[in-house]
Amino acid sequence: MRRRLVIAAAGLGAVLVCGTLLLVTSGEAPQAAQGVRETPSQGDPLTPEEIARAGEIATAKNHLKSGQTELLYVERDDDKDAEQARRAEAYIYDYSTDTLIVRTVDLGSSKVIEETKGRGVQPPPSKREELRAAELLLADPKLGAGVRQSFRKAAGRELASPSDLALRGLIFSPERGRCAQHRCLRLFVRLPDGTFLDTSRIVIDLSAKRVHTLEW
Amino acid sequence: MSLFLRLMLAGLLIAPAAPPAPARAAQACSSPYLIDKTLPNGARWRLCWEMRTIEGLTVTKVVYTPKGNRPISVLRSAALAQIHVPYDSGEPRYHDIGSLGSAVVALTEADCPGGERAKGKVCLTTRPRGHAYLKDGWGDPDARESAQGQELVVLAAYQVGWYTYISEWVFGDDGSITPRVGATGSLAGTTTAPKHGWPIGVGRKHFEESHSHNVFWRMDFDIQGKTHDVVEQYDFSGSGTKKRSMTKRTLKRETKAVNGRMRWWRVVDPRVRNGDRHPVSWEINNSDSAEYRGPSDEAFTHADVYVTQYRACERLASENVSPRCRRSVDRYANGERVTDPVLWVNVGFHHVARDEDADPMPIHWQGFRITPRDVTATNPH
Repeated sequence: MRRRLVIAAAGLGAVLVCGTLLLVTSGEAPQAAQGVRETPSQGDPLTPEEIARAGEIATAKNHLKSGQTELLYVERDDDKDAEQARRAEAYIYDYSTDTLIVRTVDLGSSKVIEETKGRGVQPPPSKREELRAAELLLADPKLGAGVRQSFRKAAGRELASPSDLALRGLIFSPERGRCAQHRCLRLFVRLPDGTFLDTSRIVIDLSAKRVHTLEW
Repeated sequence: MSLFLRLMLAGLLIAPAAPPAPARAAQACSSPYLIDKTLPNGARWRLCWEMRTIEGLTVTKVVYTPKGNRPISVLRSAALAQIHVPYDSGEPRYHDIGSLGSAVVALTEADCPGGERAKGKVCLTTRPRGHAYLKDGWGDPDARESAQGQELVVLAAYQVGWYTYISEWVFGDDGSITPRVGATGSLAGTTTAPKHGWPIGVGRKHFEESHSHNVFWRMDFDIQGKTHDVVEQYDFSGSGTKKRSMTKRTLKRETKAVNGRMRWWRVVDPRVRNGDRHPVSWEINNSDSAEYRGPSDEAFTHADVYVTQYRACERLASENVSPRCRRSVDRYANGERVTDPVLWVNVGFHHVARDEDADPMPIHWQGFRITPRDVTATNPH
């Protein structure tokens, strides 16, 4: 009888592991799958399952216009005044109004417990945004041709997609000008031969879907 | 009360043996995020680490147990708060904290000698730190006292453009904490006018542009809990005379402070005492900053140490990410009464490139020190 119970429990564990895997969106293997533990301690980083769940909860009741809001990433809420609760902060950007929305998700109750909004607040770009910025750069008639030419020279082959480029984006958020409100970024672009394109003057405005060159 | 009795009572203030850490701390985090290391001399450090999306490596719930003493909590959380990189010609000016957590570099065994690579991203290791002390025996070998120190290192590396940053939190077996950042990888390769750069490569064609790395750290000190912590600033007047006189300024309100060669600060909890009945504190010193001061729209560069009242949404020194809070540390420090201090330390390094900085660029470090002041009544090690 005891053995049967153990087998049943093991089977249940396998089901849970599969369930967890299905929810995982990032590349990291879930803790449960590693057989270490299933419940994180209060101060542990969010598990991939919690990240996925917080993202779903934060965007589920989305009364915002679809297609123009984007979940950037989910960060653990480390407020020491609420440290007994397990909470996540979902960073969402609404491109239609250029507004950052931060939704605090209580992972215990699976509810959004707080929402704050602001304009002109720009958290770091997400991976998806970096890629979209590279697409805009490549779509620019003059600059795009330059990138393709540099890539050809460095790699000895044609650029097939923006993901061929090693990208890193930083927010460009000056006090004045269009990028004071828009979501603008600068890209570091590494080519396969280890060199970097000179992109320091190039700003990609994701809100206006435009590329412009800074003068200095 | 007899002197003997008073000494006995004073001794009781610090428990003679290190008891197990409080149960609450034991639940703070679990493997592989929990670090609990007793160094060879008996000094013990307990802390949790987290690779946060934005700040990258963050240490939380840092507890120090000197040998033979009770555990003392030091930091509730500590992380990088910005790496501001302005170039000498005026442009470009980067804020290198993008999402550091996603820029983390996978570490190899060679990157973490003798240590453990937690999640492949964070190196936990110990290394020698040279002499802990040396006291000559004046001819008597038995009276000679000499020891080599060790330190616990928690580090992560990030690739931000052409630069690789290595961020270290170093916990010494003398109770010290050294946060530091090393820049390596490659130079930008940006050419400039001779007055803004240095010729590298052959001849005088390529003047590599000089630039600053202004690194900011955010540290929430909670000495045995968040209550009663106070920040004090110490100065020594008398320059040009034979005497030096100490003056203490208690920073009861949020403050923007600048460095002085002899100036230092401490976070003290007057209700937590050592065996000598002196309040336990942690001192901030030795920043060796280039003290970069930018234009008025970069007012966050105008001070070296900021003291602010704790607020969870005040996370970065510039380009802060929360709509609930202001955007930069100079605006957080607006005179509010401080009952739970957070310290922000700004350490600048001005990098004038040289021929030796060709790939792979040798690492250059910047940081400061946090040292125990009266945590124990004597040297516990």
